[in-house]
Amino acid sequence: MAAMPGTQIAAAGMHSGGPPVVDEIDLIPVRTYWQLVRRRFLQNRLAVIALGLMFVLVALSIAVPLATGELYTKTSLTRGSLPPSLDALFGTNQIGQDMFLRNMRALQTSLFIGFMAVLIIALIGVTLGAIAGYFGGKVDNLIMRFVDVILSLPVFFMILIIVAALGKGSALVVVIAIGLTGWTLACRLVRAEFLKMRDADFVQAARALGASDLRIIARHILPSALAPVVVAATLGVADSVVAEAALSFLGFGINPPETSLGLLLKNFDEDLLVRPYLLVPPGVIIVLVVLAASFLGDGLRDALDPRQRIESK
Amino acid sequence: MSAISNGGSDPVGATGATIEPVEERYVRESKTGDVLVEVRDLVKHFEIRGGLLGITKIGAVRAVDGVSFSVRKGETLGLVGESGCGKTTLGKVMLRLVPPTSGEVIVNGRSIFGLSDSEMVPVRRDMQIVFQDPYASLNPRMTVGEIVGEGPYVHGMRDKKAREDLARELLAKVGLNQSHIHRYPHEFSGGQRQRIGIARALALNPAFIVCDEPVSALDVSIQSQVLNLLDDLQQEYGLTYLFIAHNLAVVEHISDRVGVMYLGKLVELSPVESLYSQPAHPYSVALLSAVPETDPRKRKRRIVLRGDVPSPAAPPSGCRFHTRCWLREQLGNPERCANEEPLLREVRSGQQVACHFSEDVTPATIAAASNPTLAVSASAAATAAN
Amino acid sequence: MLRNEAATRPDEGSPLLQIKDLQTHFFTQDGVVKAVDGVSFSINDGRTLGLVGESGCGKSVTAMSILGLISRPGRVVSGQILLEGRNLVTMSDEDIREVRGNSISMIFQEPMTSLNPVLTCGDQISESVSLHLGLDRRAAMAKAVEMLQRVGISDAKRRAREYPHQLSGGMRQRVMIAMALSTNPAILIADEPTTALDVTIQAQILEVMKEMRVQNKMAILLITHDLGVVAEMADDVVVMYAGKVVEQAPATTVFEEPHHPYTLGLLSSIPRLGEHRRRLEVIQGVVPNPLNLPQGCLFQRRCRFAMPICNVAPPLQEVTLGHLSRCWLTPDGQPPAVGANASGEPAEAAAVQLSVESR
Repeated sequence: MAAMPGTQIAAAGMHSGGPPVVDEIDLIPVRTYWQLVRRRFLQNRLAVIALGLMFVLVALSIAVPLATGELYTKTSLTRGSLPPSLDALFGTNQIGQDMFLRNMRALQTSLFIGFMAVLIIALIGVTLGAIAGYFGGKVDNLIMRFVDVILSLPVFFMILIIVAALGKGSALVVVIAIGLTGWTLACRLVRAEFLKMRDADFVQAARALGASDLRIIARHILPSALAPVVVAATLGVADSVVAEAALSFLGFGINPPETSLGLLLKNFDEDLLVRPYLLVPPGVIIVLVVLAASFLGDGLRDALDPRQRIESK
Repeated sequence: MSAISNGGSDPVGATGATIEPVEERYVRESKTGDVLVEVRDLVKHFEIRGGLLGITKIGAVRAVDGVSFSVRKGETLGLVGESGCGKTTLGKVMLRLVPPTSGEVIVNGRSIFGLSDSEMVPVRRDMQIVFQDPYASLNPRMTVGEIVGEGPYVHGMRDKKAREDLARELLAKVGLNQSHIHRYPHEFSGGQRQRIGIARALALNPAFIVCDEPVSALDVSIQSQVLNLLDDLQQEYGLTYLFIAHNLAVVEHISDRVGVMYLGKLVELSPVESLYSQPAHPYSVALLSAVPETDPRKRKRRIVLRGDVPSPAAPPSGCRFHTRCWLREQLGNPERCANEEPLLREVRSGQQVACHFSEDVTPATIAAASNPTLAVSASAAATAAN
Repeated sequence: MLRNEAATRPDEGSPLLQIKDLQTHFFTQDGVVKAVDGVSFSINDGRTLGLVGESGCGKSVTAMSILGLISRPGRVVSGQILLEGRNLVTMSDEDIREVRGNSISMIFQEPMTSLNPVLTCGDQISESVSLHLGLDRRAAMAKAVEMLQRVGISDAKRRAREYPHQLSGGMRQRVMIAMALSTNPAILIADEPTTALDVTIQAQILEVMKEMRVQNKMAILLITHDLGVVAEMADDVVVMYAGKVVEQAPATTVFEEPHHPYTLGLLSSIPRLGEHRRRLEVIQGVVPNPLNLPQGCLFQRRCRFAMPICNVAPPLQEVTLGHLSRCWLTPDGQPPAVGANASGEPAEAAAVQLSVESR
């Protein structure tokens, strides 16, 4: 036992006269919150695989375009419409561009859009949700009615309008369009958590200690409220990648010579029968991104919950 | 410094750490009997909103509806009543954890409801709270050391080492192992968590602690440990408690005076001996008679109240207890009970009661209202004969 | 091994419900939790047995085992549960459902969880009535209203048409009792029936249960941690600690002459009315982790009287006629002649000697 002598109400020990104190807790090793989170996460095999997959995708999307530079835009009239080979892993398109390089560049663009959009979503959603949930009353009413208004509009048309207004073709515009329209779910999640936790005993205890609203929000409510947001955000990455794909597919997203996963699928009707090998890689990559993000989200949710027990194996 | 280290047992002062002194900080040595906290005509209504936009007022739950009393330095004032009587709300409003509807709470001669949030901060050091649910009252993402050290941090103790030393000392004080400051709450049992909650409250060296059902979520054998701890701490630090509970035996054990609440009103406020030997309000009588006796030979006669407590959103007129009152029934249902609200008045030395007919609460009327001892079941009789 | 039917006097016939050496274990990822570890007791017609203990002592699991409601990862590993001579443990699911409706009924702490929120109270009672008594709709509903009246619900006809959420906590518990009693069970299992209720409502419910007990001549297995409720209701008391019975006796004996240090500790640690400002006795420490139980007596780490011999698990033995206790202390509460000191013969030998003597 790690007890210091004389500090407990009673001395430890079976027959020492004083009543014995049994410290079950000493059997469990001390771990910090993040150590526990890591342990719980590592126990979830699917989540670990998803993390590895996400890591590989991100690494490829950074490394390949970095190493090959502008090569992905290079056309070649002699090397048009080649099927996959060792020379060109994913084949080439009609104008002879290397599809492996283009896919990697597309992945980079799509992931950038995905992560940046989620960042905007989280920023707006968490801020407004926290304010609405914590302060309640009129503020809450105002924010939530605004959310209702946004939710009542068809999201995709709003995105199209924003893109049309800001100018087509730029990744940043796509990010802003997706971000500005997608924060309502995060806002509702955070608001619900804040509403629930605003009157939790431990929050009231902090208030009784004299903690400021800011400290209560940042130190007590947000860490707990963030778990669902982190989950929603990882899933949001998947959603944003898909949204971008849809936009580009419709011609409202990225313009050539830049590329994105959606853009690669754009000529689907022409390619499907003639050059199916052009459609498989971007399709598979989108699915992989979505799956990795989903399982990562699930794993994070379980790992971030401090009440989850560590399974002893 | 002098304001803080009143007595060598001060948990903050003893570590040598300093928190800025606060001017109004009350000096612990003052003799008991002085009023520490005074509650004047406190009202808390929770509005019920409805309508299309949810902003139209359609009613109010009158959780606390005009309660006045004072808590004296060094005493334990018990507050009993059944669920929904407003006792927990009252405790929270007194600490301004829940905004009041009207009324005043005066701490050390200063009304606290008019204070701004920043003016309130130093006052908070004097008034702390221990909650009922030891699972909900500790932030699951903070270590025990962080939880106990949060109060001192908020009040300016920025040195992490000093906070940890203080936390260690407080853990030892409440009977926990000092080496556990880096543990998380979920690793502790219910009783241990309640001790952590008490250590957190003590960390600011408060004068007044609201104990909101501090033992009712604990197992029987753990309850007595925590009650004794509260008693020890009161002796050591000269604490003043407002002890809120529904368990009448626990309240009797720990309190000097007891207030009985019914539907947002204080119906009786008495020294503990008077209340338990000679309850003066018909509701107090019924409440006490309902407690099962821990002795199988004393299966007592009791007053079984009819029906349920009315909704606090629509309390009865006049005396709120008149719809269930056994005494009123015996007196032939006087109109006065339904029309005129009884005010707290002193019927015996120190014993205040809000009942028009308190003088009619006598052993004879109580006996007449008690249900005839039910035919003891045949088997029970057999046991007794054993 | 030892006589366990102490609460029953030997001259009475076979008991209504007899539990023999019940073992209910939970097979968790962290190990096997012996939630109920060799529990035996019996209840006779019309008697009330109080099963007392703190959370996690196995009292509720015992009740669930009787009703055949233990589900994975738990299992009744061994032992017998005899209801009028029929063993419930080996019964088919269909037969046990039949028993559950007709011979045994149960009421729970939180009635809301066991009432169907989308059926009216009347519908719920009449459903069980028509199922078990074979009455038609109209007769079943009449019976339901009658039952509601009998448990003291005023305006029963109107209440029968209301849904559970429209009723107060005390009212719901009455509905639960009405439902439980509508099939005239021989035994009622009440698991913390008044714990969630206020004391004045608790008083009402206890009165109802007492009345019903007399009217229906029914036995009650009352599970609670509230010693006041036990003192008020029970004829016999079984005290459980960490899955085992530690003391068993008629109620008056348990309250007046408790033998086991745990029972003693419990009784002296609760504040009682009329005992203002007495320093409370305390049982130190906490209940042992069921995955890491101590050797020997399970209570020894918290026990004031712990002796070397306590490293050997004491048997449940007779202190006086009808009074069993799982402790090495002699019937008058003294340390036994052997095994009390560290010196002398090994604890095991002393234990053998003691258990032989006690027969």
